[in-house]
Amino acid sequence: MLEASFTLFLMMLLSIISTIAVYLAVTERNLLRAVLFSALQSMCYAFLYYILMAPDIVLVYIPVSIGLYPAAILFLIRKTKECE
Amino acid sequence: MLLRRLITVSALIVFIVSTSYTITVLNVLGELPPRGLRPLALWFLNTSITPWLSYFSSMAPETVTAIIWDYRGLDTLFETAVFYFAIIASIALFRGIEEKHGGGYVGLSKIVRVVSKILLPINIVVAASIAIHGTITPGGGFQAGSAMAVSPLILIIVFSRFFLKEKGLSKNLLIALRGAGLVGIGVASILALALGLLYGGYAFIFQNQPKETAPIGLPPDVLGFPTAGTLFIFNMCEFIAVFAGFTIIFILLSIPEDVAREALHGEH
Amino acid sequence: MVSINLYMFTFSIIVISLIVNLAISLYGVLLKPNIVKKIISLTILGDSANTFAILVGYRATYPVSPPVQVNVPPSPSDVYQLTGLSVDPLPQALVLTAIVIGLAVNVFLIFLAIQTYRLYGTLNMREIAGVKGGQHE
Repeated sequence: MLEASFTLFLMMLLSIISTIAVYLAVTERNLLRAVLFSALQSMCYAFLYYILMAPDIVLVYIPVSIGLYPAAILFLIRKTKECE
Repeated sequence: MLLRRLITVSALIVFIVSTSYTITVLNVLGELPPRGLRPLALWFLNTSITPWLSYFSSMAPETVTAIIWDYRGLDTLFETAVFYFAIIASIALFRGIEEKHGGGYVGLSKIVRVVSKILLPINIVVAASIAIHGTITPGGGFQAGSAMAVSPLILIIVFSRFFLKEKGLSKNLLIALRGAGLVGIGVASILALALGLLYGGYAFIFQNQPKETAPIGLPPDVLGFPTAGTLFIFNMCEFIAVFAGFTIIFILLSIPEDVAREALHGEH
Repeated sequence: MVSINLYMFTFSIIVISLIVNLAISLYGVLLKPNIVKKIISLTILGDSANTFAILVGYRATYPVSPPVQVNVPPSPSDVYQLTGLSVDPLPQALVLTAIVIGLAVNVFLIFLAIQTYRLYGTLNMREIAGVKGGQHE
């Protein structure tokens, strides 16, 4: 029972860290830092999926949301700087 | 502005409080988390691999892959079509933008290049393993495709954006690969139907194992490895299609902005 | 009795934090004028909704197991043991479809944002829509 309560406590800690990361990502003015906070939130969610016993979702979520989304948004930020 | 901010904050607080109250206290989604299984989940787990109930089973030890490609196969067909159309739309938005080979882009430093040369083949092998073992361990076509799509991204950044074209992976080849993957999925979905028409019976679309009124099916394992009929073919075709799709996106995104503007102004 | 109450309380905290994530990302989609910020908030919104669906499919037994049959070929007692310990497999399959469709839409939105910047020269939605008094935020 102690191990079960430890995993539940870990889930609660991860959810609270993800809420803080989402708040910082939405209210940050510098877009690079917002993308990094969003990647931090995705890391917390990926760990949460593993504890919730969903291994297929972990295998999709880690490349897509920590690798591909920040890469595409970083390309977008770089292309839309004001440099005529 | 103060009134507007007040309305925003109060609307958010009302949303949060009402939703959490109805879910945790009033239990509108049932008792969370439940101790027993819902009846539909019991059905899926009881027939996922049961050789003694062979008319209901899908003969795949991995239940989520069986649900995606066998029980709810039409959903996945249309999800793949949505992804395909998104990539077609993106290619259409960036049409006519070609970049001639040139420019003195050297790439990143030697340390990064050597480390990439060691790590990228490992990435490709792990992704292929996830795709091939998609029916016995967690994994499958889409997981493997997106895991392998990190390799062209690193190649474009570390070496140069002409590196892929020099090695033969041009944009047209990738579009052809993507189409080939989708054709493979389409053919595998009517494979049992074609076999049924050849041997005089009938079969359903997306049929995997023999059913009671249509006793035509694909073999549940190949040389002792449980491939569960059509699920193996679906996984491999989806793997190729997803990898090609993501590589096209990164090739298009890495073209610099002044080349693109030149092509667009030339079009006007 | 005390441990069951603590379990339910901790699970309620997880549900409430996910709903707060939904609310903050919804605020980001609707009320921030920069397109890139909208796209980032849209990805967070989709991920929070998917996490909520997987959370509903969890199971309160101990030990829990993912929905994978380990012994191949199985005997009836293996199947019975799996249905006694496994989580719900259906939300995971639906969330997989939802992640792929969300990915397709977001990638297309990124390409549209690049094209919008080429045509209008700015990424501020208020300036593009021509609303009077739109300021850089």
